[in-house]
Amino acid sequence: MSGSIALEGKRYPALRFAVEADRVDAFAAAVGHRTGGVPPTFVTAPELAAGLSNLLHDPDVGVELAQVLHGGQSYEWRRGIVVGDVITTETTVERVRERGGTRFLTLRSELRDDAGELVALGRSTLIVRTDT
Amino acid sequence: MISFDELSVGQELFRSSRVVMQEDVTAYAEASGDQNPLHQDEAVARAAGFPGVVAHGMFTMGTLASALLDRAGDGVMLERLSAQFRSPVFVGETIVSGGSVRSLDPVSRTATLDVWVRVERDGTVEWPIRRGEAQIRFD
Repeated sequence: MSGSIALEGKRYPALRFAVEADRVDAFAAAVGHRTGGVPPTFVTAPELAAGLSNLLHDPDVGVELAQVLHGGQSYEWRRGIVVGDVITTETTVERVRERGGTRFLTLRSELRDDAGELVALGRSTLIVRTDT
Repeated sequence: MISFDELSVGQELFRSSRVVMQEDVTAYAEASGDQNPLHQDEAVARAAGFPGVVAHGMFTMGTLASALLDRAGDGVMLERLSAQFRSPVFVGETIVSGGSVRSLDPVSRTATLDVWVRVERDGTVEWPIRRGEAQIRFD
């Protein structure tokens, strides 16, 4: 589709996310996290709020959630997240590719604390079926 | 709990299994904010060509991270984790997560691990995560 290339490099508005105990506890129970502290993959919550949510509301993309599959994910953590952190996440559309009715989108998210320090980096590959 | 000095290249560090229950996947949807109906609504999953409700890729990856940290212990920091989601995981299936030591760096006290998640389906082994990579750092 013609908009793919223009989409590359697009930056979505930063989003602030408060790390709250109840949500962390529910997340920890769901993924079977038994060691202390916040599960490292809890960063998915702010990442989704800043990344996929914006993408779904982007008229330049025109994608519905049920069309989206998660193809791959990578995280780098610079420090552990703790309850009480307020994380600001900024997501960029890093890469867009099309192959036979399927679009591959790579989103890159930077998660920072209120001091501006990098907490984690996330890179998410989304597979969008555009032929259905 | 394990210490860095006990590790050796090639060693299997952890292996742990879990039945994927709908209630856990629904709880994951709520807690993560990923409310894709593919993960909760059988009709939507079937319309998308799947035989049943699909667990989130990050549910599987989160379960893998939990299994790894459970074995490694509280003094360990997960610094990196990456994986391709190669095959879906369906609600009701048993997933097995595991990992072995690929390399060790005694200076930074970090271990790089090959990590995986597999599931047995209709008599064959599928690999929802085949060649994932994790890096952990010890105190």
